[in-house]
Amino acid sequence: MTKRKLVIALAGNANVGKSVIFNYLTGLHQHIGNWPGKTVERAEGTLHFKGYTIDIVDLPGIYSLSTYSLEELISRKYIAVERPDVVINVVDASVLERNLFFTLQLLELETPMLLALNQMDMAKRKGTEIDTKKLEKLLGIPVIPTVAIKGIGIFQLLEKAIEIIEKGPKAKHAELKYGEEVKERIAKLTKMIERLQFWYPARYVAIKLLEGDEEIEREVSRIDPQIVSTAKKLDDEIENLHGHSCSTVITSERYEAAGCIAREAQKLVSPIKPTIEEGLDIITTHKIMGYPIMAFSLLLMFYSIFTFGHIASELLSNFFYGLKPLFASLLGTGIVGKLVWGGVIEGVIAGVTIALPYIVPFYIILYFLEDLGYLSRVAFLMDSAMHKIGLHGKAFIPIMLGYGCNVPACLGCRIMETERERLLAAFVTTLVPCAARTVIILGLVGQFMGIQWALMLYVFDLLIIFILGRLAFRTLPEEPIALIMEMPDYRLPHLKTVLKQTWFRLVEFIKIAFPLIVAGSLALKLAEVLGLLEPIATLLSPVTVVWLGLPAITGITLMFGVLRKELTLIMLATLLGTTNFAQVLTPIQMVVFTLVAMFYIPCVATIAALVREFGWKKALFITLFEIVFAISLGGVALRLLALTA
Amino acid sequence: MEKRSAERLEVPLTALRDGETGIVTSIKAGYGRGLGRGWGFEKRLMDLGLTPGTRVTVVRSAPFHGPLEILVRGSRLALGRGMAERIFVEIEK
Repeated sequence: MTKRKLVIALAGNANVGKSVIFNYLTGLHQHIGNWPGKTVERAEGTLHFKGYTIDIVDLPGIYSLSTYSLEELISRKYIAVERPDVVINVVDASVLERNLFFTLQLLELETPMLLALNQMDMAKRKGTEIDTKKLEKLLGIPVIPTVAIKGIGIFQLLEKAIEIIEKGPKAKHAELKYGEEVKERIAKLTKMIERLQFWYPARYVAIKLLEGDEEIEREVSRIDPQIVSTAKKLDDEIENLHGHSCSTVITSERYEAAGCIAREAQKLVSPIKPTIEEGLDIITTHKIMGYPIMAFSLLLMFYSIFTFGHIASELLSNFFYGLKPLFASLLGTGIVGKLVWGGVIEGVIAGVTIALPYIVPFYIILYFLEDLGYLSRVAFLMDSAMHKIGLHGKAFIPIMLGYGCNVPACLGCRIMETERERLLAAFVTTLVPCAARTVIILGLVGQFMGIQWALMLYVFDLLIIFILGRLAFRTLPEEPIALIMEMPDYRLPHLKTVLKQTWFRLVEFIKIAFPLIVAGSLALKLAEVLGLLEPIATLLSPVTVVWLGLPAITGITLMFGVLRKELTLIMLATLLGTTNFAQVLTPIQMVVFTLVAMFYIPCVATIAALVREFGWKKALFITLFEIVFAISLGGVALRLLALTA
Repeated sequence: MEKRSAERLEVPLTALRDGETGIVTSIKAGYGRGLGRGWGFEKRLMDLGLTPGTRVTVVRSAPFHGPLEILVRGSRLALGRGMAERIFVEIEK
C-alpha cells in the first residue's frame, strides 16, 4: 500500500466532546497554534492508520456557518478552500435538533462528511433513543454512534472516514428542502452564480446571499454586482411574502428541517432521572445559595493552590539553589560565571518555580471545573456584576485566573467574543494581584501589620479594578455585547483531556514567558556586574525617595520586580540585610511599597502575553499607564496616610 | 408562521416567570437598554434556535438583574438580560 497523506477535519458545536475525540485520535502528536494572523486557536494532530498519515484539524466549536464570529468564518473558509479529505461532524445526541442545524449547513458546503453521534449514553438517560440507520438515510451520510469519553466508536469512525475517502462519497447528500418560495429563488440565483468561478458551491453562495451574508456579498459584488442586487430584490420579495426578513425565514426553515429529521430519527423512552446532576445544577445556580457556594469553591481552590504552590515552590528552589556550588565549580565565580548563574539559570529557576507549583495545579483545577460544567454556572452568576465594568459573565473566568498568574489570564481572554471585550478583560486582568503579588502583600503587610491590613489592600484592589475598568469601558468605542452562552449539563470530566489541555497551556506559557524572563535577568545581572545599580537607584530617587517616601534602594528592587513581582520582596530583604522589615520600614512605607508593587507594571511575561494578543502599541500603552498610575497612587497614599497617622 | 389573536399577549422574554413558557414572535434589534446590541446578535440568537414560532421556557433567572437561563429546542442557554428584553414572546396559557 502506498503511503498517503490525508486531512480530516473535526467540526461541531461547542461542548459536544469534539476535543475528547480529537485527543483519542491523535494521542500525544498534537500541536496547538493559531490560525494564520488570527487569535483563534487551531489544534492539529497526526496519526497513522492503515498506511496513511492523517492530519486531524480540530475546528473551533461553533453553532452556525454565518459570519457572526471569526471562528465561524475561519471554519467555513477552511472547509471550502483548503478542502479536507473528509469532515467528521461531531454531534451531541442529547441536543440533536440544534446540532443537526449545523450539520445541514455543512451539507450545503457539499463536502465529503460523516456524522459522529456522540454522547449516546447521555441522550438515553435524558429519554431519547436514536435510530442511526434512519438518520443515515435522512441525511444521506454515514452515521457512527460514539461515547467519546469511554473511547467507544472512535475506531469505527476512523475506518468509515477512510472508507469514504477511498471509495468517494456514496451519493449526493440529501438536499435540505426549503419552502417553495425560497426554493424557487435559490434555484434562480444558483443558475446565475454557476457560471462564476467561486470557492464555495454555487447553491451555498445563493443561500448565503439571500441570508445577507456580508463576506459573500463582498466577494460576489467584486465579480458581478448584478447578482448581489438581484439577491437583494429576491430578499425583499420573500420578506413581503412572509412578514419576516429573508434571513429569518431561511434560518427558521433550516431549523424546521433539523427538527423534522431529529423527530423522525428519535424514539422517546422513559428518562433515567440523573438526580445528582440535577440537584447540583439547582443549588449551584440558586439565587441565594449559588453565591456562597461559588465563594466557597473559589476560596477552597485558591487556598489549596497557594498552600501546595508555596511548599512545592520552596522545595524546587531549594533544590535548584543546592546546585549553585556545582555551577560555581564548573563556571568559576568570574563575570561569566555570575552572568550564567545569575542571569540565565536564575531566570529559568524563577520561571520553573512559578510555572510548576502554581500554574499547573491552577490549570488542572480550571479545566476540571470547565469540563464539569461549573465555569458556565459561575459566569451565569457573575454576569450582572461584570456588566458594571462593561463586560459579560464569561470575563469573570480570566479575571479569576489572574489571581493565579496574569499570563494565562491574558491568554484566557480569548474566550471573549470581540477584540474590544478581549482588550478590556485583559486590561482588568493585569490589575488583579497574582500569586507573586500575593507573596508581597502577605509577606510584607500581612506579616508585619496584620492580616486585616492585607485584606484591606485586596478590597482596595477590587475598588481600583472597578473604577479603572469602568473608565476603560467608557473610553473604548463600540458597545458592549451581552452574554450568550450554552449551559452544559454537569458531567464527570475526562481526566486525560484535562491533563492534556493543562500540558498545552504549560508549553504555551513557557514559550511566552521564559525567553523574556531569562533575557530580563541577564540584563539586570549585567547591570549589577557593571556596577550600574547604584547610579540607577540614585537616578530614580526623585520618584522613590521624594515622591513615594521610600528608601532609595527600593528603586533597584522595583526594577527586578519587572521580571517577577515577588522578587521585589526577596531583593528588598537582600539589600536591606534583614527579613525583619519592621526594623527598616515604617508601616506607611510598607503600604506604599506594596501598593506600588501591586500596580506598577505587569511583569515582563504578562507584557509578552499582551504583545502577543494585542500587538506592541496596546501592550505598551497598558504598561505605561500602569507605571504612571501606580506611582501617582503611591504618592497620594503616602500623603493621605501621613495625615491620619 | 405567526398567529396573532386579540387575547394573546406579546411580552418580552424577561416578563416570564421561572418555569413559564412562551412562543417567540420576533426579535427586535435596537430595542431595550443598550446592552446586547452588538453586531449580528439577532442572527446569532436565531442560529441558536430562537426563530419565530419556537417554544421557549425560562428555566431560571439570576438575581441582581442578571441573565436568564432558557430552554429552547432541547438545549439550555444563558442570555444576558439586555438581550432577553428584545426577544418577544406570546405567553402560552
